[in-house]
Parts: sequence; C-alpha cells; structure tokens
Amino acid sequence: MAQKPIELILARNLMSALSTPAFLVDEGGILVFYNEPAGALLGKRFEEVGKVGPGEWGAMFGPFDENGAPIPYDDLPLVVSVRRGRPAHAKFRIRSAEGAEHEIEASAFPILTPHGSRGAIAVFWPTLNGEDPE
Amino acid sequence: MRVKLWGTRGSVPSPGPETIRYGGNTSCVQVTLSDGSLLALDAGTGIRSLGLALGDEPTRLHILLTHLHLDHIQGLVFFAPAFKPQTEIVIWGPASPEASLRDRIARYISAPLSPVEVRELPCDVSFRHCPETEWEIGPARIRAASVAHRGPTLGYRVSEGDRSLAYIPDHEPALGADLEGLDEDWISGFDLARDASLLIHDGQYADEEYPDHMGWGHSALSHSLAFARRVGARRTLLFHHDPMHSDDFLDELDRRARDHWKAAGGDPHTVEVAAERSEYDLPAGVTAPA
Repeated sequence: MAQKPIELILARNLMSALSTPAFLVDEGGILVFYNEPAGALLGKRFEEVGKVGPGEWGAMFGPFDENGAPIPYDDLPLVVSVRRGRPAHAKFRIRSAEGAEHEIEASAFPILTPHGSRGAIAVFWPTLNGEDPE
Repeated sequence: MRVKLWGTRGSVPSPGPETIRYGGNTSCVQVTLSDGSLLALDAGTGIRSLGLALGDEPTRLHILLTHLHLDHIQGLVFFAPAFKPQTEIVIWGPASPEASLRDRIARYISAPLSPVEVRELPCDVSFRHCPETEWEIGPARIRAASVAHRGPTLGYRVSEGDRSLAYIPDHEPALGADLEGLDEDWISGFDLARDASLLIHDGQYADEEYPDHMGWGHSALSHSLAFARRVGARRTLLFHHDPMHSDDFLDELDRRARDHWKAAGGDPHTVEVAAERSEYDLPAGVTAPA
C-alpha cells in the first residue's frame, strides 16, 4: 500500500478532529477519506464505504439542483478544485443513505505543494434556508 | 554502514554537568558507507565535533538536512571542513515554494547572525532540493519524504544492501492520529521506517510532558515506541532530547522505554535513549515485537 503524502495525512488528521463535515480526495480524484460529521450527513461512515474512485463518489449521494436535476460530476466543487487547482463553492442538494434530503453549501480548496497537487478538501454545511444564523 | 551520533539534543544546545553522558549538542549523525562515502544527517552543533574528527584529509561530504530549524543547521558555520578549499560539500534539504535551499540557509549564514556569508565559504559547496524519488550517493540509496513536524520537514532512509537506517528526528506522527489503529499508509513516515535496521526517532517528551507540548512537532515516548513497533524497526534510538532533560531523567526514560518495549513483546536491548558519540554497525539483526 503506497504511503499517502504528508499533506493528505495532516489533512485527514485535522478533518478527524472537526465537527464540520469534510471530504478529502487525492490528486487523482479518488475519495480517500471523509470524517464522522460527513458520515452522519450521508448516513454511512467512511469505514463502511472505503476508498471510492473518481466519478463514483458523486453518485453515492446523488447531488442534484433545486429542480431535482443531477449535477454533473465535473461541476462539483471538489472536482473543480482538484482539476483546476482553484477554490470552488456551490449550493446543491444531496440524499443520504436513508433517503433524507439535505440542502448544503460546499466549499472546496486544492492542496498544492512544491511538488504539485496532492488533492483537495471540501467542507460543507447544511443551508440555513432563510434561518437567521444569529 | 556505520553510524555515529555527534549530537542527540533537540531545540537548543544544553551543555553542562547534568548532560555529560547523553550529550548537549544538537542533531548530527555521521553515516559512513561501505565505500567510505560520508553523510552527515543534519548540521546541529554536533557537526562541529564531526568536523574536528575528520581532520585534514580532503573530504567529500553530503549533508542531508531534515529541515532548517536552528538546532539542525547551527553547526554549519563551525564545521571546520567548510573552511578548507579542498572540501566538497553537497547540502540536501527540503524544497520550499518561498525560496531556494541556498537562500533559506543564507539567512542564517549571513550578517548579523554570522560573521561569514555562504559565498565566502572556501569549500566547494552546492545546494540541492531532495527529489521525491530515491537517489544514490555512493553505494547507498537515499529516500526523503515529508513528515509531520512544524514547517517543511523531511525524514530520510539510507539503504545499502539489506541494511537500512531511518532518520526521523523531529516527528509527531500521533498528532490527531491513533497510531495503533490507522492503516499504515496513513501514518506519517511509515514507508521511510518500514523494517529499518536502525530507526533514529524523535523521543523528546515523556508521556506526562506531552499534553503541554501537543502540536509542537515532537513525540511522547509511547508514541515513538508505537511508531517503532508499527514499522517493525529492528533497533530504535530515541533522539532529539528535550534540553530540560538531565542525564538522570534520560536514564529513567531509557528504563521506561525498555520496560514498555518488553511489555509489548520486544527485546528490551533493541530500544535505547541515544547518547552522543555512540556508534552502531548495521544491521542489528534483531526482531521487533509483533
């Protein structure tokens, strides 16, 4: 098993300590980790799912827009980030393993190093739906 | 491959009557390969003594820096061979997007911190960023990889035949991580240290000291030993001693380490607290606990 780059190891360690749902993909777009808060939102812990290839993990939670139309994998913030090396943000809906729907906002940013891209992180929050955050 | 420890202390030199046996010089390890090629792992104040030991012979030397904290480079301007025109020194270190290795080291070897500038060194000195892939020095294969510490920091693996030395002096692999439960590919430094004949690893803190130093980039004793056990190191030296640790304290740490290792099923003679001027021939030929 190839050693993960230190940047991904440190990112995972940080994500493990957060209450904010977060996803981590490697430079090839493979989903290599998501944390417990993300698992709670998706209805499945990462340990139950394991590594998921590019193009597959998006379908796990069926991202779709407010009209119910699927959002293309290529347009997801995490994919934009890992491919273009740029931050990206979007609002969309997901469906958990139990069938519950959540509207979320996701922000992704690339993990860039002197040796090139290592992947990207996305953090996401349930949308407030007009509620006052204060 | 022969290994000699010229500096085992971390953070800041700590000479004095209370550190005579384990030493007060900061990180420097001499590695002599089978063809006589010389490596110095880090250039803390211990490298001054190495320079004196090398004498007047023309020298070609590779200095492999893990990172540029002062305790790992402070000895450079006191390394006698650097002031001899017949010496050739290649300095390897981590890349940074911010500046070249030479420019970053020159911040220390320049006024007002130093009376000499890099360009004034009489020796033939060159600077190279460590590649991501393995490379060769003499008969040895060298591998460098980033590890968990504060700032860009490398660990090294030096292999010759079936013998291997892993050198990870500044390392906090347990920060936010469960070393016992994680898959090996998610453990910082794992590939560098896997099945190493000799592992020289950060052992800066006793377990009871660690909570006050979490995130400082160093390990507690139990973390160091958990790492050594997971990677299957055949012999482990606990290194980078806290400057506050006296010889008596390190004796106690050594006893705890051996007891811990024995309780885990290992040979207590294969774990020890590193002492300045100690020498080791590789391989050690012993087995780590399962």
